[in-house]
Amino acid sequence: MLVTWRYKKRRSLIQWFDPRAWLIFFTSFIFSTLFFWDLRFLSFFLAIALLVVFTSGIRWSEMRRAWLFIGGFVFFFTFLTFLTGRGGMEVYANEHLIRRLEAPFTLFGWRPAIDVTVERSFFALSQMARVFSLASMTILIPYSLNPASYGIAFRGLGFPDKIAYAMDLTMRFIPTYGRDFQLTLDAQRARGYELEKLSGGLFAQVRKMAPLIVPVTIHAIIGSEDIIDAMDLRAFGVGPRTWIDQLHYRHRDRILIALAILLFVASLLLTFIGLGEFWVPPALIS
Amino acid sequence: MRVKPIPAVDIRKLNFRYRNRQELAIKDISLQVMPGELLLLAGASGCGKTTLIRCVNGLIPRSYKGEISGQILLNEEDSSGLPLARISQIVGTVLQDPERQILGTRVRNEVAFGLENLGLPREEIIPRVDEALDHLGISRLRERETFHLSGGEKQKVALAGVLAMRPSILLLDEPLASLDPASAQETLDLVRRLVDEGMAVIMVEHRVEDVLKYKPDRVLFMQEGEVRYLGLVEGLKNVVNYHEVKLPAPDVIARAAQDPPPAALRFLPSVSGDERTVEATALVQFEHVFFHYEGGEDVIHDVTINIERGDIIAILGANGSGKTTLVKHAIGLLKPRSGRVLVDGRDTREISVAEVAKTLGYVFQSPSHMLFAPTVGEELAFGPTNLRHTPQEIEKEVKEAIEIVNLSGKEKDPPLALSFGQQKRVSIAAILAMRSRILVMDEPTAGQDYQNYMEFMDAILQLPNFAAILFITHDIDLAVIYANRVLLVDQGRVVADGKPQDVMRDFSLLTTTRLVPTSLLQTNLEKLAITGRFLRAEALAHVSQS
Repeated sequence: MLVTWRYKKRRSLIQWFDPRAWLIFFTSFIFSTLFFWDLRFLSFFLAIALLVVFTSGIRWSEMRRAWLFIGGFVFFFTFLTFLTGRGGMEVYANEHLIRRLEAPFTLFGWRPAIDVTVERSFFALSQMARVFSLASMTILIPYSLNPASYGIAFRGLGFPDKIAYAMDLTMRFIPTYGRDFQLTLDAQRARGYELEKLSGGLFAQVRKMAPLIVPVTIHAIIGSEDIIDAMDLRAFGVGPRTWIDQLHYRHRDRILIALAILLFVASLLLTFIGLGEFWVPPALIS
Repeated sequence: MRVKPIPAVDIRKLNFRYRNRQELAIKDISLQVMPGELLLLAGASGCGKTTLIRCVNGLIPRSYKGEISGQILLNEEDSSGLPLARISQIVGTVLQDPERQILGTRVRNEVAFGLENLGLPREEIIPRVDEALDHLGISRLRERETFHLSGGEKQKVALAGVLAMRPSILLLDEPLASLDPASAQETLDLVRRLVDEGMAVIMVEHRVEDVLKYKPDRVLFMQEGEVRYLGLVEGLKNVVNYHEVKLPAPDVIARAAQDPPPAALRFLPSVSGDERTVEATALVQFEHVFFHYEGGEDVIHDVTINIERGDIIAILGANGSGKTTLVKHAIGLLKPRSGRVLVDGRDTREISVAEVAKTLGYVFQSPSHMLFAPTVGEELAFGPTNLRHTPQEIEKEVKEAIEIVNLSGKEKDPPLALSFGQQKRVSIAAILAMRSRILVMDEPTAGQDYQNYMEFMDAILQLPNFAAILFITHDIDLAVIYANRVLLVDQGRVVADGKPQDVMRDFSLLTTTRLVPTSLLQTNLEKLAITGRFLRAEALAHVSQS
């Protein structure tokens, strides 16, 4: 059975709006953020994202895992970019050295060193602000969007019936996959399988993952076949369908959609006139 | 002059072969089902029951391709020319597991799904949804989320979703398989009422005895894709062997009395004496165990029990009462929020699941969550290899395990290509091959036909290596026949723990835990003064003679 995300009704800014209006705003926010590398502009987006997070009414204990996973991921890659200096080469050409840190040892005659530069540091900060803005807004969606409204929300956004229902099922398929993975992991652990003790090269390790990957994949395929049977047996896809749930835009939703459009158009214009590119405070490089 | 009634389903010389298969799945089937008739469709796993259902509801040949010949008329209309959308308004199908059928996140959306697909106006759909819910007495569930329903509630909601489309024919594919006895009884009550209102119903079911109480008009018994018996219920009892189909205990006793007495079986032969022995250190100890999932309420509430050497424990209780959660603590997959669980005196918090697996083998409910290997042989070798058994030991363990579950000759077959019943037996064999001292099985007989599960239960309980066996079941008779100790679980609490003859004589307690006394239990209780313990029906036949 398809399981749902941990949605519940909360008094929150997100849930104050119609899900369609929020999805439009969310899409506008994501694309607008991607236009910028300037930390000053990104701070604006981060502020909006944090405002939404803090007014979401979701307890830390509920979304701790998601935050730790995504936060860890973001920190790791930002730090990697910072160390290698490779990620930002496309947005800045010159670097201004703050300090060169050298390791007190050599490896086969080579002494590892990191150049801490103004550009690298600001690139890391900009990257973090950008990715955290995107991640914060995205993490909240499964907790805040009523699963019962997925289909009608996508339909209301203009998607055809079949696509809207498919998107509804896909949204619910992700947590279902997670549950099946956990059940399989438990079943194999009960047979003495220890994921943490995998050894060997990459291919050997992937091969040793088969006890997890095969059942989960097969289960997903069988589950999909069951879903298709159940849908076929109740005449899905034979023609235009009715959706018994109805959504109605209110005044506030129209305002949010107007703001979403405004945000996107303004971001586009700013990019056209050359604002929003990577920025470092001039005082630091003069 | 009386008008001859029109059959709701008229199947004429039907044959079907799945694509890529050599043999026919069903052969030369002809039958009619009239409006207001309940046809029970029985037979062993893989006998073609589900294939026949798929032919009637149109999934064959539309979704499942293959070679089909013969004719199916639905209310005198040839179904081969009808689109699935039209068939779905004539034939409603409830699949084996309601979990696999429910698509909607909320009950009313689920029930409305078919009507929405037909594009009916909203003003028509809503009253029809309410009518279907009302008809099944589940209007109170209307706004509930389907995910949080109990097994029995899910089955009723799936049925409501089908009934809302107002079919004249209803197909039920093992609707009782995942239900506790009380939910099964409620489902059967509903089905009987629908039949009495004029619906034609074909019900596939292994739990023949349960259905017989609801007086099916006729029985179709299939074997290897063919009709072996089609006729009145009374005739079935003369045609089939009581080892093949589970018949009511008085019928088995009457038939078995003609046969020689069954051989005496010695369960848990490694344990000396018949009685369980309480030793200084129990094999598994639960000490004031409490558990809840993150953010939820307690699902296990102050459980203190010991599993001793010689125990054959049946855990009984309603769907969602906490049985599986409880036994997952024994292998350390779940850790108590407070209290502790000791296996061989060691706290499960301090040892890995793999270490516990050396002592305690756990067979999961669903085989599809564990089968992965290219052959049955390799699947069975996986556990013992993880536990670092030697290649010689593994070879011997695999061979024995395959024999016990009656799958000899299938060593080279891919487990994922086997039938569900066979997969279930592979999953049991995979744990047997690990040679743990304690065996824990979650619903070992679900989805199995009677003869198969009785054979492997007999074989498992006679294995020389187990010190204790524990199984979760909804089948009271399994507890009657095999257990020497019964735990009744209700809302996360162990509400009764004792010998089967002590616990199961209290019918009011059984009722509160959604269990329904069976004819075997009642007959055993009547003869308890003579037998002193519970026996299977074949054995009771000879007690009554003596």
